[in-house]
Amino acid sequence: MRASSLIRLVGLSLKRDVRGAVSSVFGVTIGIGALVFFVALGLGIGRVVREKVFPVDAQLVEVVPSQLTLGSMLGGGKIDQATVDRLAALPGVKKAWRKMTVRVPAVSRYDGEFFGSRLHLGLEVIAVGVDAELVRADVKLGEFIDPGEGQPIPAVAATRLLDIYNHTFAPNRGLPKLTPTLLLGFQFPVEFNRSFVVQAKPGPVTATSMQLVGVSDRGILAGLTIPLDTAVRLNKASGVDAETFSAVTLQAESPSHVPELAARVKEMGLKVDEQDRRWAENAGAAVLLTTSALALLSLLICLLAAVNIAHALSASVRTRTKELGIMRAVGAAKADVRALVFAEAAALGAAGGALGSVLAVAAAFALDAAALTWLPQFPFKPDSFFSIPIGLPLAGVALGVLASLTGAWWPSRDAAAIDPARALAG
Amino acid sequence: MISARGLKREFSDGDGGSLRVLDGVDLDVKQGELVAVMGRSGSGKSTLLHVLGGLDTAYAGDVTVAGTSLKGLGDHELARFRNSTVGFVFQSFHLVPGLNALDNVALPAFFGAQGGDAKGALERVGLGAKAGRQPSQLSGGERQRVAIARALFARPKVLLCDEPTGNLDAATGGEIIELFKSLNAEGLTVLAVTHEERVSAVAGRVLKLENGKLT
Ligand SMILES: Nc1ncnc2c1ncn2[C@@H]1O[C@H](COP(=O)(O)OP(=O)(O)O)[C@@H](O)[C@H]1O
Ligand SMILES: [Mg+2]
Repeated sequence: MRASSLIRLVGLSLKRDVRGAVSSVFGVTIGIGALVFFVALGLGIGRVVREKVFPVDAQLVEVVPSQLTLGSMLGGGKIDQATVDRLAALPGVKKAWRKMTVRVPAVSRYDGEFFGSRLHLGLEVIAVGVDAELVRADVKLGEFIDPGEGQPIPAVAATRLLDIYNHTFAPNRGLPKLTPTLLLGFQFPVEFNRSFVVQAKPGPVTATSMQLVGVSDRGILAGLTIPLDTAVRLNKASGVDAETFSAVTLQAESPSHVPELAARVKEMGLKVDEQDRRWAENAGAAVLLTTSALALLSLLICLLAAVNIAHALSASVRTRTKELGIMRAVGAAKADVRALVFAEAAALGAAGGALGSVLAVAAAFALDAAALTWLPQFPFKPDSFFSIPIGLPLAGVALGVLASLTGAWWPSRDAAAIDPARALAG
Repeated sequence: MISARGLKREFSDGDGGSLRVLDGVDLDVKQGELVAVMGRSGSGKSTLLHVLGGLDTAYAGDVTVAGTSLKGLGDHELARFRNSTVGFVFQSFHLVPGLNALDNVALPAFFGAQGGDAKGALERVGLGAKAGRQPSQLSGGERQRVAIARALFARPKVLLCDEPTGNLDAATGGEIIELFKSLNAEGLTVLAVTHEERVSAVAGRVLKLENGKLT
């Protein structure tokens, strides 16, 4: 049978029982709609977790000194330049960036104009020096190098820190929200070797200032990221350890090199800081689990829709016994009759799948719009809670068709088994 | 045109026994003949037509129609045979509801019949003006004309008619019988089974089906 004939016959029989068709389509619509909606939500939340909450770069390995190992007692476990060189030479390592914490406490006492508000605030500051290349791509003002004594220190803020400031800190204190561009060039005073909470070191207090030069995913979360040489200089000036590094960030050739690399690092008596990665994995797993459960539920609805279609088509085949017999008499083969029932099911499934997908996407957009207006701001609040790759609605349609075809299996067999001689008797 | 040898067909009677409806039927119909098969209700007339037309395959014996031996044909080949070689006309018309007259006539085209002329066939049975009507908008006689046009659509070699006037009043039935007569006059082979004398009256040859045998 030609496709055009099939389509006409399908149209004919669907038109004759519109109510039955609508009820069949409805079931598929609900199942596929729920599936597309929940998968889009899971993908969207997963993306927020990956990109905003725990933006773990799959290629980066954070190496830190081990605190209490046999190695540390023997003088190992620390990260000096020789260790950095050895780390950089490990197979699979593309780059190694050093990090050194400023090992004296620091405070910022701010009193003055702050983006149109008045701000009077004392704050502990943690500063970590890093190799410039780690954050260079995000530095938008000047060069990320040690400016020398008495000059403002270029500092990079973490994207997540800015997010937390904008969504929690600023609203609570009545302070303005800030964008990365707005922040560029902002200067504030800093005093090193001074603290409101801990004992300062015996060395002198260094009063200077910092200037924000960028916002980066690679900036440290709990403080400010400054040039490595500045951290070395400040540590030297305060008479504390300016030789060993507090961490080294390794960039692997590819994410697949990371497990092997982590093992080598541990063999060297060093630790791999996997906190963020583990959080990301846990959160990712939780999202995946929830999404899978909801997707499974939706698949169950699809299964029910398939059963519904099986019932509807069975009834339809029974009432059309005579008509199908006529078709056999004028030249339809058993396979043609079966194809007709399958084609009807496919049409119902495609309609249901398409409608469900459209409704799910519409619901996603509507909820995003509502969230934008009605939900209060919170850290990491995304612009969209959904991720809808083009393949998702297409898969929805395909699955709708598949569910319907499954439901049509038995009715189509019954239809093909109709004895035309008997159907046409009388 | 039609040749049947030793046709046998049994049905189970529901009590574990069997009912032999055709019990060794021999039949020869020549090209251009109009043959009537008479028989009481339940004598097996419809069964015989279904076997000859390739709708029933559970028989014993041999059937050849228009040079095609039906024995051993697959479902697709039988379908093509029904589609183009024979045309069925039934007692209760059997039009497809929802399709207008023209589309009902063209129904064989959905299943492969090529080169058919639905409009011409409708005109031939005198219904050219009612091509757009639904079956429900046609009288019994008109419905049977549409069914005959459908049977003619693919230019078959043989028309197989199962009590074609059984559901029609005398006048309308008479018109249908005239139509068969004129189609036969144009050279079409017609085999009609019936229990009505008026059909057999126009036949060139009348056979009797009794106790599963054709005489
Ligand atoms: N599918 C069937 N199953 C069982 N018995 C059948 C079937 N078809 C026909 N019969 C029986 O075969 C006999 C002949 O039927 P049929 O050919 O329709 O007779 P006719 O057309 O001459 O009235 C009847 O007794 C009928 O009950
Ligand atoms: Mg009969």
